[in-house]
Amino acid sequence: MFKKILFATSATKVSDHAARVAFNMAERYNASLDLFHVLGVPTRGYSQEVMDVKTREKVEVNDEYISWIDEELKTYYTDQLSDAIQSNITVAVGVPHREILRQARKTNADLIVLGGNTGDEEDAVYKHSMAGSTLQRVARGAMCPVLVVNRPAASFWGGVSSIVFGTDFSKASDKAFDFACNFASTMGCEINLFHALDISTTPVGRAMPQDEIEQKIRESLRKMRSRYVSKMEGIHAYSMDVWEGIPYVEIVKYSREKHADLIIMAHHSRKIEADVSQIGSNMEQVIVRAGCPVISVNR
Amino acid sequence: MPEGIFCNKKPIETEEALTALLGDTSGKNYYKEMTDLDIDSDLLWKTIQNTCKSRMRTWLEICAHCGMCAESCFLYLVNDRDPRQVPAYKIQSTLGEIIKKKGKVSNEFMHMAMETAWSKCTCCNRCATYCPHGIDMGVMFGYLRGLLYQQGFVPWELKIGAGMHRVYRAQMDVTNEDFVETFEWMVEEYEEDYPGLKVPVDVEDADIMYTVNAREVKHYPEDLAEAAILFHIAGENWTVPSQGWEQTSLCMFAGDWAACKMQVESVYEAMELIRPKRMVGTECGHAHRATVVEGPYWAGRQNGKPPAESIHYVEWLAEALREGKLKIDPAKRIKEPVTLQDSCNYVRNHGMRNAAREILSYIVEPGYFIEMGSNKENNYCCGGGGGFNGIGLYRPQRNKALITKRDQILDTGATLVIAPCHNCWDAIRDLEEEYEIGIKWSFLKPLVISMLDIPDHLKPEE
Repeated sequence: MFKKILFATSATKVSDHAARVAFNMAERYNASLDLFHVLGVPTRGYSQEVMDVKTREKVEVNDEYISWIDEELKTYYTDQLSDAIQSNITVAVGVPHREILRQARKTNADLIVLGGNTGDEEDAVYKHSMAGSTLQRVARGAMCPVLVVNRPAASFWGGVSSIVFGTDFSKASDKAFDFACNFASTMGCEINLFHALDISTTPVGRAMPQDEIEQKIRESLRKMRSRYVSKMEGIHAYSMDVWEGIPYVEIVKYSREKHADLIIMAHHSRKIEADVSQIGSNMEQVIVRAGCPVISVNR
Repeated sequence: MPEGIFCNKKPIETEEALTALLGDTSGKNYYKEMTDLDIDSDLLWKTIQNTCKSRMRTWLEICAHCGMCAESCFLYLVNDRDPRQVPAYKIQSTLGEIIKKKGKVSNEFMHMAMETAWSKCTCCNRCATYCPHGIDMGVMFGYLRGLLYQQGFVPWELKIGAGMHRVYRAQMDVTNEDFVETFEWMVEEYEEDYPGLKVPVDVEDADIMYTVNAREVKHYPEDLAEAAILFHIAGENWTVPSQGWEQTSLCMFAGDWAACKMQVESVYEAMELIRPKRMVGTECGHAHRATVVEGPYWAGRQNGKPPAESIHYVEWLAEALREGKLKIDPAKRIKEPVTLQDSCNYVRNHGMRNAAREILSYIVEPGYFIEMGSNKENNYCCGGGGGFNGIGLYRPQRNKALITKRDQILDTGATLVIAPCHNCWDAIRDLEEEYEIGIKWSFLKPLVISMLDIPDHLKPEE
């Protein structure tokens, strides 16, 4: 399923849950693991100076500095780096999302695992006053699926027996479906197709009549059947549901009910929002809330 | 010790020499060696005799020491009106002295001259517009930098920057292959959203040849994608050269005249090779000055012009909007207080005051654009021009220099600053980091893309 996993890490606590998933997956699927760390972000005009993400000091990066950080990473992951996993460490300088995408392209990675939100502290350094999160930008540009682990609860990875595929019937969702389908048949797991009927956008003062809601649910189910069922040959365990509500809430609730180990969705939001916490697409909201890892597929 | 290992009169010519100098973190040894560096007074005097022509000699001679230039200099203003920051004093006490002493100056003097040339003047040329005699101190400081560079008295980062141009014909270690590769990568990333998006490389006789800033390739390749998207939507017949694509010139900041010539000739060669009707450069100020305004003279071109008509990005963008090649959705126009940073290098020094304002008339909801107090050709430098942004040794002085722009922005009440120039963009970002005044800043490309009214046939199928 996966041969080359790129694990982009801040090498701090917030990436620990993602690390557990990344190492587990590499071992389980016999994939090579590329530990990738952006140590600093360019600053001060054209000069060579960068701001070190951890120390927040302005440093000039040379080979010595890189090997020092490299060593630090080895120490940080010393318990997890074992002979059982073929791994290597790459340290880079640059704008994080760009360097992650550059590395993924260079190594032909088939999965990118992203650590959790680095929070206000380090985020300020990583973003270096750029709008949008690293996640948004990586998910937007990646040619392969991007797996994100945000909550500690989401870090458990004991094999996948149930996945939830959330669709909005877009073109990108079709790509995500192909991936989910392939995943389910390779892993022999159950796949739960889900669509949330968005009723949160109804104008104020106008509640959608129940008949209309139910009518739309029936339509969506029909759409699901015609669009996906024929493509699910060889997959025996599947279910289909459409619930009404606020999409990200419904997806998280549904995944909990289905005991999902993994959520697969399309991240086709093309816009990079200035303030993630305020706006945030459904995808981001699901990542923040879900009790399992989330894979974003764009292409 | 006459010549140091790191600090000497030799320019950087090879990758190895570049790596070695980069390895001297922060130029620690470089600056240490500089305190022992000898001055080749004969060479210095000979160079002055050959290159300091009547214009500059007259300027130095006729300066009435009236002090009219003082108030025009933002560095004089932010440094508590220190008389040592009066432009006339700054140039008379450096270049003027070197000439008076026929090049027989001490190491200490050269240190003082270096500090003056790179931390007390950004070559913004504002003082020239206030001098009753029309004396341009900025031009003379550019010249002084050349003399200092020749003698090895140049800030570490700029010795490296000039070396980059010599080795890579780019201001960073970006090769021609990296450039084309990165552009293609960007198209891959964006072609789904913009069907038919391409990066035409080395297309002969195209209408537009686009040139960039290597930093876009190295760290912000989205900028390349955005340029491609706008040319694509506008239906332009455009291309990029696979060599001669770098428009900037850190060698100009460094005073490395020979490298200036090499760099600009690489762009001109590209023009001669693929014969575009016009060249359009990216949103950069000094790159325009180097390639379009000063470059022709460095390259010894008789007509004082580049081989192909060369315009700035704001000129192309204004034209595309005016002619309807690009259409703005009025509902998406900027509806927050916004101001504009005029780049000295193409506004004051190349008369382009209207282009960006014309663009703003299309993309800003009427009533939301606020001019800075001093604007157009009277605008102040962002505080980081002329190489100031990148020099570690003078960082405290640079941060102080940002105060003028900070206060100008605060006076407008704007929350968004449009800065169609890399140096200005950097300086305004830094001033927000340093002083946290709560502003956003942007180039024009991403703003325009976010409010484009894209024709149906160019939209992705859904």
